[in-house]
Amino acid sequence: MSERRSSAIRRASPMTGTPAQQAPVEPVLDMDEIQGIAVPGFFKPHQTLVYVHLPRQRDAIDKFRGLLREFLPAVATAAKTLKDRREHRQIAASLRAVSPRRRAPARQATNREVLVAVAFSAPGLLKLTPGASEIPSPAFQGGMAARASLLGDPRGRGADGSPANWVVGRPGEELDLLIIVAGDERELVSTEAEAIIKRLLGIGALVAKQDGDAREGKFAGHEHFGFDDGVSQPGIRGRASVAADDFVTNRHIDPSDRPAAWLYGYPGQDLVWPGEFVLGYPATGPDPLLPGPLSRARPAWTRNGSFLVYRRLRQDVGLFWRTMRDEAGRLAKLDGFQGLTEDRLAALLVGRWRSGAPFNRVPLGDNEDLGKNPLANNNFLFDSDSPKLSLMNGQTDPYDMAKADPVGITCPWGAHIRKVNVRDSGSDIGGRVATYSKRLLRVGVPFGQSLEDHYGEGRDPQNGDRGLLFLSIQSSIENQFEFLQARWMNDPSRPKMPGGNDMIVGQNAAAEGGVRRCTIFGSGLQQEQVSAPNQWVIPTGGGYFFVPSITALREVIAR
Amino acid sequence: MAVLSRFDPPAFMSDLDRIPGGREQWHEFMSMVFNWAIASEQGVVAPAAGSSAGTVQFFNAAAWDPGEPIIEQAVTWNAFPKELLVRFGRARALVEADRLWPMEAYHSEDYDPAKPGQAVLDASSRSWYRPHDEYCEWHVDREPATGRIRKVTFTSEPPEYWQAIFGGEVPIDTGVSYRFTGNPEIVLDLYRTLVSPEVRVEDLVFSETTQDGKRGDYNFYNKWNSTHGIAHLAAPPNSLSAEAKLGADATVLRGSASGQPVATADALVCCAGYGGPERNSDPTIGAAVNALARLGAMITLVNPVGLYMDHIDLSGWEVPDGIDPHDCVNIIRGKPGMIERMVVEVPAGSSRFVSDITIGGEPVRYGGQIAECITVKLVGGATKLHSVQNGLTPCNSRCCLDPANASRLRDPIGWDAPTPIGFIDALGAEPPSAATLVAVSAHLALPLVSAPRPPIRPLATRSRARRLLA
Repeated sequence: MSERRSSAIRRASPMTGTPAQQAPVEPVLDMDEIQGIAVPGFFKPHQTLVYVHLPRQRDAIDKFRGLLREFLPAVATAAKTLKDRREHRQIAASLRAVSPRRRAPARQATNREVLVAVAFSAPGLLKLTPGASEIPSPAFQGGMAARASLLGDPRGRGADGSPANWVVGRPGEELDLLIIVAGDERELVSTEAEAIIKRLLGIGALVAKQDGDAREGKFAGHEHFGFDDGVSQPGIRGRASVAADDFVTNRHIDPSDRPAAWLYGYPGQDLVWPGEFVLGYPATGPDPLLPGPLSRARPAWTRNGSFLVYRRLRQDVGLFWRTMRDEAGRLAKLDGFQGLTEDRLAALLVGRWRSGAPFNRVPLGDNEDLGKNPLANNNFLFDSDSPKLSLMNGQTDPYDMAKADPVGITCPWGAHIRKVNVRDSGSDIGGRVATYSKRLLRVGVPFGQSLEDHYGEGRDPQNGDRGLLFLSIQSSIENQFEFLQARWMNDPSRPKMPGGNDMIVGQNAAAEGGVRRCTIFGSGLQQEQVSAPNQWVIPTGGGYFFVPSITALREVIAR
Repeated sequence: MAVLSRFDPPAFMSDLDRIPGGREQWHEFMSMVFNWAIASEQGVVAPAAGSSAGTVQFFNAAAWDPGEPIIEQAVTWNAFPKELLVRFGRARALVEADRLWPMEAYHSEDYDPAKPGQAVLDASSRSWYRPHDEYCEWHVDREPATGRIRKVTFTSEPPEYWQAIFGGEVPIDTGVSYRFTGNPEIVLDLYRTLVSPEVRVEDLVFSETTQDGKRGDYNFYNKWNSTHGIAHLAAPPNSLSAEAKLGADATVLRGSASGQPVATADALVCCAGYGGPERNSDPTIGAAVNALARLGAMITLVNPVGLYMDHIDLSGWEVPDGIDPHDCVNIIRGKPGMIERMVVEVPAGSSRFVSDITIGGEPVRYGGQIAECITVKLVGGATKLHSVQNGLTPCNSRCCLDPANASRLRDPIGWDAPTPIGFIDALGAEPPSAATLVAVSAHLALPLVSAPRPPIRPLATRSRARRLLA
């Protein structure tokens, strides 16, 4: 049996003497090789996805290769995208200095440039290079339609959401290419997309497109249920050049506040080793400050490439809010849940209020200033009281800090943000590693017009066709996207209990009718289940794609 | 509220009802395990400023009435051994997980059966265990001629439970053990029903007295629970008393050298040394318990104390011939949500094999692929939040890693132990200096695992590092 250590706490290691404090040395990323959609990500309010089926004939494929070679300079590199992003950050910062309450306005910060990314499915890549079959990713090789049952998508032919009913990427009709055109102005994006489409049609490809646009006005940046989406993104570790502090992800914590200054970009924005998003770089190791093993690029030409997941998700806004209204009404009659409103219930299930303010920082009600403040809206822990951090340039986070909530009494373990990111808690796969190794860079955008009356009880000229063009970047589809969807969001016991299904985006194909449930606590620690018998986020298409490096495009695919 | 009147057997299983006094003995044993675990923390827990003694925050529900309701929190983890994943990568981990390892391998974190010469050493090993340390073990039954999988059997039954049914002494600590009356015939009957009708009593016991046990004592690693089948957990860290000790250890609040609370899962398991830092189970259990302890709660394990498979996730499972995957899973002992023994096989009457099942399109080639779908749990309970204020106990230990191959944390070493050459301290125990960041890996010289062989028995600790705190 182990004996107690003596109470003398500190001792220097006899091997190293008193250690020097040192920040992690971050790798220099190949900014001219990696496509900008992967690093730092597009994050533009207007996107057009161009769906492409390539012809099989040899000469048409050769023509496509020629087209790709000509088009190559227009593909946005990480360098170009980061430059654009930095210009935006500067404009946003100066606007905030003038008017602190304003969020980074997309309209004012316009850049006439349009960003373009090119991604290939396994069958599409195989038409161009036999090396495609060597990419050792069962998900990529199988395609999303083949993996749909793992993701919890309904199976029956008549079922909404079943791959047979997808509008894009259904079995037998998987896309070959996905081209993403993104920019600050809808007109410019559309013009560029049309030009690309015209040239593809010219070589005999089958082409279609899907527009996605950030919502306007007071819902700018919010997805269709009304919530500010994309508040929490991982911060990619890495430098854009050999300069010691030319970081791809900006730092905001005062360098004297260690180790927080080494762990976060914005407060709470985990810095994640780049191998989680781009092949050929160090990925997560057991110590977040030390580079882990390389994410292997196999075959070698996949280095500097990434995987892209596309899910066209239709959102039944009316069903969501009617269910919130009805469930809140039912629960409000129960002891411990008096006064529960639909807004509060929805915020409990998301983990944030509509403004983006984290529920566990302001459990009593929304705080729009907090929601819009990037120095505060992602700064919270779950298992411990969240500490105040010192920020650069004398900035402050003046709001109440979140209190320890390990059991999920304040913010339920079934809440969407807890289902996909456990932060400082452990999970069913052990310690903190999941916080770094199961992250996605989300670069999607909503589509469709907003629903005027959010219960959906009036007329809907769009006929329900609105939702999210979900796009995520990761270095492993199986270990990141599929893990989060299948293992955590769809499962009632993981990552932790008491939890339940992710009510927002989880699916529960195993249950009768796909009913989803999760547990919430009342004011006197009573536990009740929220239940949603019908699906309000319905997959209507998608695919798994590979985003090659510029050299791979030129030397392997287009050669 | 009142004290718990009786500790029930895991999953309320009824085998001990067949032995006069069996249930009462189980209750006494469990109570003793709790009391031992609590006592072991008495010298460890630190008093708050101004107090003379700390309060151990782990309690025995049969001995102490909190006077308030207990909130139950199940802690869940994945059944597939993460240590194998980080050591070998998934492809090879699946192969190793379906094999048995020699007992000597347990005490080396660098054991690799593929190392030249290792196989020769392994051949002389007398007992073998399943390298499954997440409280769920499985046995794969293959058709000899083709290797196709006929059946995979999973268990989470603790070895002490089977010892209780058989009879004999269960060691809890040095000089501390409990003697069960038991009845070997009942164990024989169970083996014959669950494993094979060919089991004989002689197979289940030590045939002669050695350091492993006395002649006639129950042998956890008998062939019907290792090479020829599976009855219950037997891997060294998979014991009920280790579970209780882990729970108790994790209630101790820990502080870093600078006086900050140690709170994250990895940092805690390294600092307190209560388990394997690269397992799914120990860091998660420890973190969940410690988070409640930091809230000043009193913590216990909820009756019936045990380890359970919570459920198996069949998403993505496809079975040919229109067979429903649910028909391929049978709970043999325990019940849904508290599964103790589960078998996966294609329904009788079908000519198909488990090998014909695909998960996400991948054919099942190893039992471990099914283990990846299984969630294991224990159920903790917390009460009297904010009632206890203890001080911070300094770290016992710390973990290192190889910076040239930073794929896993090594087992915790004593706080004052020198950092092994080629390794650096991890997780802020000793922030890496510039010199150590370029250290060269010392892998080249790691020795083959060869002994001395420790006695074989399930241990009362999750920690493999026996050199801890030497």
